Amino acid sequence: MMTLRRWCAVVGLISLGLGILGAGSGCRRDVTTQAAVRTVTDAAGQPVAIRDVSRVVAAGGSVTEIVYALGAESLLVGCDASSLYPEAATKLPQVGYVRALSSEGVLSLRPTLVLTVPEAGPPEALAQLRASGVPVLVVPAEPSLEGVKKKIRAVAQALDRAAEGEALIRQLESDMAQVQSYLAGRPARPKVMFIYARGQGAANVAGRDTAAAEMIRLAGGVNAFDFEGYKPLTAEAAVAAAPEVILLPARGLESSGGIAGVLSMPGVNQTPAGRNRRIVAVDDLLLLGFGPRTGQGVMELARLLHPENTSEK
Amino acid sequence: MAAVNILATRPQALRLPGHWLIGGLAGALCGIVLLAVGIGAVAITPAQSLSILAELIGLDVGVPFTEQQQAVLLTIRLPRVLFGALVGAGLAMAGAAMQGVFRNPLADPGIIGVSSGAALAAVLCIRTNGWLFGKAGGMLAVYQLPIAAFLGGSLVAFIVYRLARREGTLSVGLLLLAGIALAMLAEALRGALIFAATDDQLRSVTFWSLGSLGAASWVNLSMVAALVLPAMMWLGRLARPLDALLLGEAEARHLGFDVTTVTRLAMLAATLIVGATVAFAGIIGFIGLVAPHLIRLAAGPSHRTLLPGAALLGACLVVLADLLARTVVSPAEMPLGVVTASLGAPCFLWLLLQERGFRS
Amino acid sequence: MMLEARQIGVIRGGKVLLDNVSLTLLPGHVTALLGPNGAGKSTLLKVLTGDVTPTYGAVYLDGRPLEGWSLVDRARRRAVVPQESSLAFPFTAFEVVLLGRAPHVALRETPRDVAIAQQAMARTRVDHLAARAYPSLSGGERQRVQFSRALAQIWEALPDGSARWLLLDEPTASLDLAHQYKAMAVVRQLAKEGVGVVVVVHDLNLAAYVADEIVLLDRGRITAEGRPEDVLTAERIRAVFGLDVIVTPHPHHGRPCVVPLYANGE
Repeated sequence: MMTLRRWCAVVGLISLGLGILGAGSGCRRDVTTQAAVRTVTDAAGQPVAIRDVSRVVAAGGSVTEIVYALGAESLLVGCDASSLYPEAATKLPQVGYVRALSSEGVLSLRPTLVLTVPEAGPPEALAQLRASGVPVLVVPAEPSLEGVKKKIRAVAQALDRAAEGEALIRQLESDMAQVQSYLAGRPARPKVMFIYARGQGAANVAGRDTAAAEMIRLAGGVNAFDFEGYKPLTAEAAVAAAPEVILLPARGLESSGGIAGVLSMPGVNQTPAGRNRRIVAVDDLLLLGFGPRTGQGVMELARLLHPENTSEK
Repeated sequence: MAAVNILATRPQALRLPGHWLIGGLAGALCGIVLLAVGIGAVAITPAQSLSILAELIGLDVGVPFTEQQQAVLLTIRLPRVLFGALVGAGLAMAGAAMQGVFRNPLADPGIIGVSSGAALAAVLCIRTNGWLFGKAGGMLAVYQLPIAAFLGGSLVAFIVYRLARREGTLSVGLLLLAGIALAMLAEALRGALIFAATDDQLRSVTFWSLGSLGAASWVNLSMVAALVLPAMMWLGRLARPLDALLLGEAEARHLGFDVTTVTRLAMLAATLIVGATVAFAGIIGFIGLVAPHLIRLAAGPSHRTLLPGAALLGACLVVLADLLARTVVSPAEMPLGVVTASLGAPCFLWLLLQERGFRS
Repeated sequence: MMLEARQIGVIRGGKVLLDNVSLTLLPGHVTALLGPNGAGKSTLLKVLTGDVTPTYGAVYLDGRPLEGWSLVDRARRRAVVPQESSLAFPFTAFEVVLLGRAPHVALRETPRDVAIAQQAMARTRVDHLAARAYPSLSGGERQRVQFSRALAQIWEALPDGSARWLLLDEPTASLDLAHQYKAMAVVRQLAKEGVGVVVVVHDLNLAAYVADEIVLLDRGRITAEGRPEDVLTAERIRAVFGLDVIVTPHPHHGRPCVVPLYANGE
């Protein structure tokens, strides 16, 4: 038995070693330099050479949105299942969910460029696309204002629409300036609890270092919870946090059964937000996508957190 | 252990001779592999496929093809189809062996807890964002999920094995109970981890558990083959001991077989096979349960035919299922586990109806 | 060349199943283990086959301890017919009998092995069941198939001339009257061919018919050992089994015949 186990371990280690060697040597093809080759730095800091953008596949809701916002939608030949805005995107051929892309499916659209986000997978599919000569640009996707700007710039650079990209960024900055002026006369920072609901019974709340927390902060609120990441919603935690507003993504609100459904979640009824029925929702992609409409999302959220007709002096 | 007497009454006259079955299945597998390699989202005509394959052995058939078609065929489709065949063969053979060891036609290869352990480890890896291996960087980080799944599966199988050891012998009854208990525990832990997961992580976990051959590459194929092929060879040599084991542990010992060693070897082989396949392909259900049954139905329970027959049939089934998965919602793909479940459940029902027919 | 149990004791969970039992078995002889329920007959047989490890004492085969023999070497010399045997998968009766050749088969069964299996089935008159699925057979048919399997296992004399052994644990439990005696007739023939047989039976008359020596067990101890006419006396049967009987010689072959005494209506 001992010898068998040992033999297995040896075989496993040898094959792992061979695999590492094999993957290391790889089968990357050199992209021959031609005229008008742009080099864009991807999320991992690697340069990606882009020649031809006539057929683009975008995987990732915010990336697709940016392509449309740049006016480059004519270049798109396909997108993924999470690309839901604008509606025109849903009519494009779909290559699967961004985390489970089908390399052959993507290749069947004969793309010349694949734009995607860091969550894209599986890694073998991306490697196969690259090995087939299709450049794959993974744009940075930090959930912050700076991150949005980097994302827009990367996509714009890739598609040779730098000017349009800057215009989007200026729009974003002006949206945010509007938010600042709106919040200027409203010093209150209400406590907000963000609920990630997944159907009946399963609800998580967001702590700091989440996309939701960042949006709340930008919109002039304070996240009710201080832990990192997401945790399940418990009655005690909700009551202890005493949020004044409860925020959900629009589809999450729907799947929880509307406001009535949220009120029936553990502890919600005993929070100020529950008692005052201050339960608000924003469209999923608008709220959490960190795409070009981020400024509008923040504005909408700011208006929800600081209703116009209340004075906060 | 109470045994379920499915397929108890089919007379021998209706059985297929073993050699015919193996030969036929081998031929069918070759045909199915060629078919699957020739079909996919990217358009490649059969003539072009043959041309690309012929070029591998230096023949020029004269049909032109593009470099991209060649890349798709040789680096995407061919490893994927071969990977599917390997996964199917391994799972089916492991299933047949576990049904023999537990003397129960309802055993599937994950019965000793390997799949549950692998699934738990995968969720842990996804939830911690690969904290365990990510820091190490390099290849370890790239393969963190398969490594975690394989180690998790092996660990659970090892615990099950230790629990079932009693005074130097291995009790099959305890193995079964320990396997069930640990699978339940692993599921509970998995549920707890999923409960506190973000939406993104949840989707990753779901996609992983639904199974897919999307991670197939020549490198991954060779790694899995290095573990699965030797394990399958060991199982092949256990054909006669497994036959004897069906008579009962005491009887098998009276016939000169070391039951403890046979059970251990079968468990180890099944652990390797299921661990390696689950690590890269996620959970693929029904193949390990249904393929052995179909072979028994056709050719009887002797393991000398059953083990290779189930392997070949399992390979055919997975390659076909993956073909469906790749083409039905093209250019997207359906998860393989969904296809095997959708095909496997009705197939099982059909088997039951067949059996009802024989009994009456 | 003998099978010996030397001072065997088996204690399980505080209960004494066998207490200082010693037994010497010779090839060419049929030894019957008799006794009421719980006497330890099956336990003793299991110790002899190696299925149960005694708490103290040991079994010796041809002078060497049984543990020293590899499982395959044991299997080539000694076949066991179990009390009951279930099979979850539809092997044919022939395939089950052919499995009996396993200890002698290197890679594949040879035509000789197939022939032996067929002859074994003929000897126990189950050849007409060859193509039937084993789970579909009746209890009695299954027992006779198991018997054939054991015969196939020790069919041929061993090249080194060592003795062959056949151990049967209540082989007639499911058999009807005629088959019981036919099976025992086969057992007697085997003994004549030099096989050493140990058989656990319940039926006293069957034991008297088949055995050269009877070992009478009671509560884990050997109370009597010897020829049937010496062991099977009315006093001893009353003492061990609690039944009043008359023991009379059989009208044809002279072996003891045990006839229970009971008054009308009791």
